[in-house]
Amino acid sequence: MENDATQKATDPKVVFCSPYESALSSLEIIATASLEAGKMSMEAGANAIGVETITQIFALGLGARLVELRIGYASLAITVGIDGASITCVRKVGDFRVNHRLIHALGNLGTRVAKGQLTAERTRSELGLLRGETPKYSAWITALAVGIACAAFGRLLGVDWRGVGPIALAAIIGQYVRQLLLRCHVNAFLCAAITSFISCVVAGLGARWAGSATITVAMISSILMLVPGVPAVNALRDILEGHPTLGNARAVTVVATLIFITAGLWLGNAAINEWHP
Amino acid sequence: MMGFASLLQQIACGAIAAAGFGVLFNVGSRTLSLCAASGATALGLRTCCLGMGMSLEGASFVAALSVGAVLHFLHPLMDVSHNVPGVAGCIAMVPGSFAAKAIIGLFALTTGSVGDELDMLVTATKYALRVFFITGAIGTGLAVPSLLFRRRVPQ
Repeated sequence: MENDATQKATDPKVVFCSPYESALSSLEIIATASLEAGKMSMEAGANAIGVETITQIFALGLGARLVELRIGYASLAITVGIDGASITCVRKVGDFRVNHRLIHALGNLGTRVAKGQLTAERTRSELGLLRGETPKYSAWITALAVGIACAAFGRLLGVDWRGVGPIALAAIIGQYVRQLLLRCHVNAFLCAAITSFISCVVAGLGARWAGSATITVAMISSILMLVPGVPAVNALRDILEGHPTLGNARAVTVVATLIFITAGLWLGNAAINEWHP
Repeated sequence: MMGFASLLQQIACGAIAAAGFGVLFNVGSRTLSLCAASGATALGLRTCCLGMGMSLEGASFVAALSVGAVLHFLHPLMDVSHNVPGVAGCIAMVPGSFAAKAIIGLFALTTGSVGDELDMLVTATKYALRVFFITGAIGTGLAVPSLLFRRRVPQ
């Protein structure tokens, strides 16, 4: 008796479902694959129109006839439908990190899906591969590039040549620490404040040691990699392009980030004045 | 002559800053040169406009609009997304130092250690307003070309 029960539990089940249930099952796969593409593009820094375009390309390419999308700051909701059957799915959106190569790869995958070259299941597995296989610059190369960029910013803001080296060094250290903190899933706002403090102290002390006459501007220049430029521009674009809720949410996040960055700068300035008045 | 040297420095620094931010945004190596070119164009145009007597807000708008328009038309030819190179190019114009000065000024007001509080409040507010207007000018300048040339299909 017990053996019979075990046998039934391990046997592959043959489920007979109605055409409606079958349509719902395929719609669920289409909805989850499309939402995954939309979520990835949003986390990689696309604006609302970009997310909408990518999601629609995937959903229509996989066979949906009806696609409606709601884009929120922290979640995406999609309704897809075929032949009278429809399904709505919601997905949370994770941390935001600009990744242009991922957006580009998503666009290429979307083109293949739109041409009917991939099934829904294959699309889901390709999306999973994209997340892991999209090439990234190493942490040190990124930190070095950010250091040079901040030094160039310093010159644009009028820092003298003696202050340029300390800005680059401070930004390199700050960016490396920032990447470490983000990898440990530290809150993004706290991460901005901590990075700002470290960069500001290194730049301030370095510029003073090098004999720069523009110490304050050097300190500000060393934290400019933290300024949320992409979210700020996306916020305005989203508002202008008919997504005011998302745009406002982004704008509030930009302001909060700026406050945390400045808190770090302020504390760093106070610490330098305390140690070397 | 001094003006030309200053323009060259702005162009070079704009290109370096934009390419650096391109790496931060994980832009592909082929697109990095586009980021650098858009940064150089944006800073060069802004410097020229400032030289002609325009305000910083107006000059930033003209520079962002030009970069946005060029990238919008290059987009189908070069198979790259125009959003990130445009932002990377214009990011050197984002007034981060003004924002920092505005918030530091407002922080200082709350400590009560400021001599002339009214003067500090006016200065901090001026910086904050300039941040608001310049960021708005850059965002609008980048968005206008796609708003002009892309029509939304009525539902």
